[in-house]
Amino acid sequence: MNKRIIEAYEKRPRTWVYHLAIAVIFVGLMVWSGSAVETAGTTMDGGEIALNVLKGIFQPDLSFLFDFSTKGVPYLMLETICIAFLGTIVGAILSIPLAFISASNLTPKPIAFAGRIIIMAVRTIPAFVYGLMFIRVTGPGAFAGLLTMGVCSVGMISKMYIEAIEDLDTHVVESLDASGCDTWQKIRYGILPQLLPNFASTAIYRFDINLRDATILGMVGAGGFGAPLIFAMNAYRWNEAGAILAGLIILILIIEFISTKIRVKLTRG
Amino acid sequence: MIKFEDVGKRYPNGFEGLKHVNLTIEQGEFVAIIGLSGAGKSTLIRTINRMHDVTSGKLTVDDVDVMSLSGKQLRRFRRKIGMIFQSFNLITRTTVIKNVLTAFVPDMPWFRSTFGIYTKDEKMKALECLDKVGILRKAFVRADQLSGGQQQRVALARTLAQNPQIILADEPVAALDPVTAKQVMDDFKRINEEMKITILINIHHVDLALKYATRVVGIREGEIVYDGPASEVDKDVLASIYNGKVDDEGNVLDANDHNEER
Amino acid sequence: MSVYDKIFKPKVYTLPNGKSVEKKASRMPVYFIIVLLMCVLSVKVTGFDMKILSQRIGQFFVILGEMFPPNMDYLEKVWSPLFDTIKMSLLGSVIGALLSVPFAMLASTNVCPNKVIVSIVRVMFSLIRTLPTLVTALVATLVFGLGTLAGTFAIAVFSFAYIGKLTYEEIETVDMGAFEAMEAMGATKTRAFISAIIPQVLPFYLSNCLFNFEGNVRYAAVLGYVGAGGIGLILNEKISWREYSSVGTMLIALFVAVFIIESVSRMLRKKLV
Repeated sequence: MNKRIIEAYEKRPRTWVYHLAIAVIFVGLMVWSGSAVETAGTTMDGGEIALNVLKGIFQPDLSFLFDFSTKGVPYLMLETICIAFLGTIVGAILSIPLAFISASNLTPKPIAFAGRIIIMAVRTIPAFVYGLMFIRVTGPGAFAGLLTMGVCSVGMISKMYIEAIEDLDTHVVESLDASGCDTWQKIRYGILPQLLPNFASTAIYRFDINLRDATILGMVGAGGFGAPLIFAMNAYRWNEAGAILAGLIILILIIEFISTKIRVKLTRG
Repeated sequence: MIKFEDVGKRYPNGFEGLKHVNLTIEQGEFVAIIGLSGAGKSTLIRTINRMHDVTSGKLTVDDVDVMSLSGKQLRRFRRKIGMIFQSFNLITRTTVIKNVLTAFVPDMPWFRSTFGIYTKDEKMKALECLDKVGILRKAFVRADQLSGGQQQRVALARTLAQNPQIILADEPVAALDPVTAKQVMDDFKRINEEMKITILINIHHVDLALKYATRVVGIREGEIVYDGPASEVDKDVLASIYNGKVDDEGNVLDANDHNEER
Repeated sequence: MSVYDKIFKPKVYTLPNGKSVEKKASRMPVYFIIVLLMCVLSVKVTGFDMKILSQRIGQFFVILGEMFPPNMDYLEKVWSPLFDTIKMSLLGSVIGALLSVPFAMLASTNVCPNKVIVSIVRVMFSLIRTLPTLVTALVATLVFGLGTLAGTFAIAVFSFAYIGKLTYEEIETVDMGAFEAMEAMGATKTRAFISAIIPQVLPFYLSNCLFNFEGNVRYAAVLGYVGAGGIGLILNEKISWREYSSVGTMLIALFVAVFIIESVSRMLRKKLV
């Protein structure tokens, strides 16, 4: 055979060692993590409960679902929307300074790194820890909920802000400079028009997520639909839980639809 | 009148961008500056409105020493010099007219510029400028929905709204296809003739330079090697400007056509 | 012309030379009013009060301050629940991600020709995604009993829907040229899928899996709260007993763990894509 072809064949990358190593690591990790799967066992038949849950979800308590007083599902959803809305605004505002000090194209490296560590620390603390801490500040209720939501949003929002800042197109600033604008005018007309739609889009996206994550708030007593949902489930009132879940699913689907529309409009015009 | 007297530009890393440049440009001229990538075309143009500093010699615009200006004076000085860029440099996320209106920003009182409030008069002026470059109909469309040629015209309208005496154009057609490039060059020509605005243009396309400009400045390694009417540029002149990298038909063989120095 | 433009007439600018141009009425005022109304409503409903906030926010930092210095003696008791949290998120992520693959294929129009199946699977994905993970976990604790199995299950369900959605979007945007070339060479659809589509999708799929795992580690800490195992359980306990220095220990351990996992995962993801 042609010598060059044989040589090329001999030089083929030996990937099997690499693949084997990955496979061994993967299997090892699986066995390791499998060791943790344990359960305290149930007092009731699990299958029966699962069936009840499904039944409840498909047969929601309609009088509860359409109860327009402050105890009904619609009001719970409204409260949740309000918490998520203000929470997102709080988070969006808190994130601005954090994002600016952490953007590597604006600040020196050590400061940017410190900023990123802070953001990560803020993000790591579980939501219910914030919730319990804020309840000490404002007392239980929706107020604590929106503060929790705000702080929990900071991690993701500031991360996306940073990306927007690092992607800034500085050519615009150059042309404003050439036409005689001062520093503030360059920021106002060169930077802000680029950042604001991005920031708004991020906030809307986060609002979407916050709505989904609002369950946890109710559990620690920080308002929203979480608390009644947990009570209903713990008391096996599945129809009631089903009504709340049905309301939630409808709400999330509507909000997702609207927010996607707005965000597409923001980026494409 | 723009006057270079023995102007030199040395970058902090020691590279000499311009060497002993002597050049006088009268009001209303249409000057094309040609040369290889990295020869100093951009540097030359950018020293005029002091986007770049000169390090030796004297550069005056209408008898004002450019290097003596700073801060507010410099910004006021830049008002009468428009600048066009290869990458259009528009705020793509806002409408065309808002891009044009930014030309008025430096002259507006602070509260109007902060909140972006424009007078009817300013809006009409902006629309007239858009009409001059033929894209009036796109005035309220977002800039990122326009084609490259249309975006460059918006940039041109923005510059016109500034009411400049001089327009500096740094590779304005390098990012455009040949047909659009011609249209934009036609706009330049018309503006030059109708409004008597001095136009200095950096350009890679020798054919366009010769066709539109009245005067050609050839630059090689920071030095001016040719300065004369476009009609007198021949193969030998091009060969000297482009270090002999010219083929038999006078086409320039410049491999990195689009990597202009910054 | 939309309804809005009929109500608010466009403004016409006429130039001195007679040409005119129309400006549609800006939607900005409407958006502004909507946002403003939402703010007012939200402040009312949630009882947001700047005065309380500025007076009492100090409390938050008092608690934060009590977490430091952390109680290092407690550290040895943190390891086992911390690893439980990591283990259940790892196993849950893997199970969910693997299960999602066949369904993601069914949800891609370029692989599955049947439009009905495509839309059914897609609706299923988005319905499951709207189900809060915490609710899944709670149901799971009732079905499987308290412990990490419930948490693993909840994470698997979430990962299934999340990875499934991202994967079918990835499959849909894939370059079909290679697939057609394989078919033209006489390969069956399955073979063509394996050798033309999978190599294109795999890096993104793996990258999404890693990203999902990162997020799940953080989320798994919350699941302990409903009794689904892991560090959340003792975290909740220590907060209610106001043993803040132990809480500080746990948070730092969690932070270090998340930091390591994110760094490794980011490194791997950079290599993949």
